[in-house]
Amino acid sequence: MSDAKAVADRLVKAKRLNALLTPSKDLRKSLAAQEAAARPTGVLYGMPVSVKDNICTLEFTTTCGSRILEGYQSPYEATAVAKLKAAGALIAGKTNCDEFAMGSSTEHSAYGRVLHPLDKTRVPGGSSGGSAALVAAGAVPAALGSETGGSVRQPAAFCGVVGMKPTYGRVSRYGLVAFGSSLDQIGVFGRSVHDAARVLSVISGRDPRDSTCEDRDPLRLPTVPESLQGFVIGLPREYFPAELDPAVRRACERAIRLIKELGAAVREVSLPHTPYAVPTYYVIAPAEASSNLARYDGVRYGPRFNGSADVRSLYRSTRGQGFGAEVRRRIMIGTYVLSAGYYDAYYKRAQQMRALIAQDFRNAFDRGVDLLFTPTVPSPAFKAGEKLSDPIAMYMSDIFTVTANLAGLPAMSLPIGRVKGLPIGGQLIGQAFLEDEMIEAAYALERVVPATEEA
Amino acid sequence: MSVSRDEVLRIAQLAELDVDEDALPELVDNMSRILDYVAQLSAVAANGTVKAFVPGPDAIRFRPDEVNPPPLAFGPAEFAPAFKEGFFVVPKLDQFE
Repeated sequence: MSDAKAVADRLVKAKRLNALLTPSKDLRKSLAAQEAAARPTGVLYGMPVSVKDNICTLEFTTTCGSRILEGYQSPYEATAVAKLKAAGALIAGKTNCDEFAMGSSTEHSAYGRVLHPLDKTRVPGGSSGGSAALVAAGAVPAALGSETGGSVRQPAAFCGVVGMKPTYGRVSRYGLVAFGSSLDQIGVFGRSVHDAARVLSVISGRDPRDSTCEDRDPLRLPTVPESLQGFVIGLPREYFPAELDPAVRRACERAIRLIKELGAAVREVSLPHTPYAVPTYYVIAPAEASSNLARYDGVRYGPRFNGSADVRSLYRSTRGQGFGAEVRRRIMIGTYVLSAGYYDAYYKRAQQMRALIAQDFRNAFDRGVDLLFTPTVPSPAFKAGEKLSDPIAMYMSDIFTVTANLAGLPAMSLPIGRVKGLPIGGQLIGQAFLEDEMIEAAYALERVVPATEEA
Repeated sequence: MSVSRDEVLRIAQLAELDVDEDALPELVDNMSRILDYVAQLSAVAANGTVKAFVPGPDAIRFRPDEVNPPPLAFGPAEFAPAFKEGFFVVPKLDQFE
């Protein structure tokens, strides 16, 4: 049996999760062709990597989980995808996600919700829930996702896998469908820290097609350290509030004990503007989204809805029917905060708060802290439907992850234990372009933490 | 309610979105709740000296000014809803009110 066939079989077996949007027949055909064409000398030769459906591929359609891009075949591929293929990886289908990456539960996809691999009544997190679920189910060793406010780390924590978001500018955004351009980054899921790190290393580095991508060499992977001697790990007190889920707190305390046993110095720090991070994010991200999503008007891409009357009604009916409720809501909020009379009160204020949040991190790092350790999400995976009627409750599950996006810092989640069988994630936040230090600490912690044991 | 029904309809027009009459009350309610929630930012003292922060390179790099073929595997005729003789086909503009 060929590798491509085995890869396809594993993915088709995980079909009940609704995590993969690519039809089985297309997947099998493409994997066989890719296997025949793959370069055997590549560092990821033969490794199947599934790709979130908001990242452009030539092999499969790119719908962003939206009706407005139903059947859309991109005429070019993302730089990250091209780099994976050049390294010999197989693009193993497109994964389901919240529409245009807007959501924290993968319930906002036009193609149905994704099931949590350990409990089908729960959500896998989002917006890259399909990628997280496939890696957690063992269907692929790694997958690409995207982050605007935690869309890789949050589902990684919920599903019990590793999720990494690089520094803003580390990975090219060329071919990543834009949502919040000053926040978006492609991220990676892996079964292990090493699987995620080696994929991240391959997709990182300069790209003349993205002017916000830094002119730097690809990330160099650190070796697995014997200890964390010499590391100073900061614990931001705002990330351990009194109302934190007790089981999440227990898992974090156990991980912190292990970090100390590995020889790291642990120090409490304060990031005082943290409570304003979610409101800041929910002004800036919708503002950028309302601008970025203006291009979907039924003229250039995807299906048209009732477009016969005139141009205006073509735009309005295509956008009104093509976008789902959450996307419409965010476009409306974004349009509101950018409109005359409200710009200063909302958008300008949010921009200033973003600067203060970034400064909080710089202050902590300037005082000799190398990395920060926090819970990734305040609770384990919640029930499907539980937060659908309350958008603010849904937004609050991003409370510990949005800060790294606002400040443009690298961050990752790794499994640190379970509560009643559900995974808990611990988050490491690093300094800009020092992913290697973050990965080094994660290697060490991963070796000692009982990731699948009750906390 | 921080936004009224009329304001929501005005914003929908600016955003070029049709809003169903049935969906309107929920949208007004949700937008009001979200805007009330993010309004806590204005409770923070406005500090004129804080400059906006955007991550990424400090200066935009320019590419060499060379004409290269677009990196497309196929042309727009393949993905546009309608395309003819090098142009996107859209409804006539004289129908535009």
